Amino acid sequence: MMDLQHGSLFLKTPTIVADTGYAVTAGSRIVIVTAGVRQQEGESRLNLVQRNVNIFKHIIPQIVKHSPNCILVVVSNPVDIMTYVTWKLSGLPKHRVIGSGCNLDSARFRYLMAEKLSVHPTSFHGWILGEHGDSSVPVWSGANVAGVNLQTLNPDIGTDQDKEGWKETHKMVVDSAYEVIKLKGYTNWAIGMSVADLTESLTKNLSRIHPVSTMVKGMYGINEDVYLSLPCVLNNSGVSSVINMTLNAEEVAKLKKSADTLWGIQKDLKDL
Amino acid sequence: LQELADELALVDVIEDKLKGEMMDLQHGGLFLRTPKIVADKDYSCTANSKVVVVTAGARQQEGESRLNLVQRNVNIFKFIIPNIVKYSPNCIILVVSNPVDILTYVAWKLSGFPRNRVIGSGCNLDSARFRYLMGERLNLHPSSCHGWVIGEHGDSSVPVWSGVNVAGVSLKNLNPDMGTDKDKENWKEVHKQVVESAYEVIKLKGYTSWAIGMSVADLVETILKNLRKVHPVSTMVQGMHGVKDEVFLSIPCVLSSSGLSDVVKMTLKSDEEEQLRKSADTLWGIQKELKL
Repeated sequence: MMDLQHGSLFLKTPTIVADTGYAVTAGSRIVIVTAGVRQQEGESRLNLVQRNVNIFKHIIPQIVKHSPNCILVVVSNPVDIMTYVTWKLSGLPKHRVIGSGCNLDSARFRYLMAEKLSVHPTSFHGWILGEHGDSSVPVWSGANVAGVNLQTLNPDIGTDQDKEGWKETHKMVVDSAYEVIKLKGYTNWAIGMSVADLTESLTKNLSRIHPVSTMVKGMYGINEDVYLSLPCVLNNSGVSSVINMTLNAEEVAKLKKSADTLWGIQKDLKDL
Repeated sequence: LQELADELALVDVIEDKLKGEMMDLQHGGLFLRTPKIVADKDYSCTANSKVVVVTAGARQQEGESRLNLVQRNVNIFKFIIPNIVKYSPNCIILVVSNPVDILTYVAWKLSGFPRNRVIGSGCNLDSARFRYLMGERLNLHPSSCHGWVIGEHGDSSVPVWSGVNVAGVSLKNLNPDMGTDKDKENWKEVHKQVVESAYEVIKLKGYTSWAIGMSVADLVETILKNLRKVHPVSTMVQGMHGVKDEVFLSIPCVLSSSGLSDVVKMTLKSDEEEQLRKSADTLWGIQKELKL
């Protein structure tokens, strides 16, 4: 807190406070939850579940007590399950509980694809949806630059027959976090920037679309209460709507498979 | 993150951490306007840099003073500075490593650069901390609180009380005891907190990063955008304020794309000048023993 306060001259954030007690968060518009244990080298995100559920049982009720009208953004991993847990523990309506989800995966994907094509990431459009983790789904049918659809140019894109090896790019996205953790012990810059990006849409009421983790029951044949990343319109009410992306049968099947995996874990969680 | 450069090169000796940091920053590429971020332990990746920021070296342990780090950091600089100069002979070197005033002198000697192109981050952060604390006391944003801390970046920095003002209103005119031991409002405590800031943050979290990072970005912005803003940074002050040796101390300097273009001659009181000379003597005492 002090280190940030010392930079106040260079900031436009006049009040920076910190405390172990939650009273200091009272009246927040947005609360970002990054707490919890993080992945060790080689550990998958799903392994962290029960430990983090116990931590959330302490955190979430306190947040809601002091800021009953806030929007909760969950970053802690495994984010899709933790967003579900947060929704249950908070009692808030589902449009006000959002998981950072695949916002970072999509950002990494756009960065890597743009590098291959020598353009800035903002000019490459591509979406990664579903579970934030090993089974995320790259929607190849949507990948485009200036509206030029890459799959139309290369129908094999993302498949094993693809001579250009685009599937490797998605694999690099999935491996990204593990690689950075192996090199420097944790990740902070990219995830921080991606969450700031979400916060900007929420606080400035931008109604921009982001791939974030939201309650997807009823979509794509999913019948359970699971959170997965889909393109969501974010503004100052939270998730105001969800884009019904046209996915092919294979992509829908992968989403459903993620949903089943997540529900398999969620149904065993105690006392939510 | 301040989006000042179109290309950022990182160099370190610990290769894994370096690559990890580079990748983590690159992954944020969608949110940045710095399209090229590279990193290597070899200095060739820094070729043709406009500004080179040197933060390398040993840092203070809890309770350790900056002056203690000297010899260790001089040895590190003997390797780093010639490498920087080799690949970017026209750059501006901005030294942050502590003790910054001495290491800026060392960088100047080792680089052979003219004095306008070797600058120390100096008291830019001390003054920012002072203005933050002043703003807290007066319930104002730091940018509306004006005050300068000059001299050594460290335990003997000099707060120039006569210049402290808000909207041109000199606080010392309103409170002539300001900064003395008789001062009922105890402004001296503000300066003391500035001096102790780094020690306190290091004690709490092990190091400082945010504030120093932001203050250096502030300097880099002025240089790259040729703004000619005045900053309290460390420069060669021989011949000013009665300083006779080749020492670097912070005074208000005009920064531009050519580096340090002018210096503001502050009207200091005799005891303030005395403090500057004393700092200069302390620093020269250490510098003359260095083997360069």
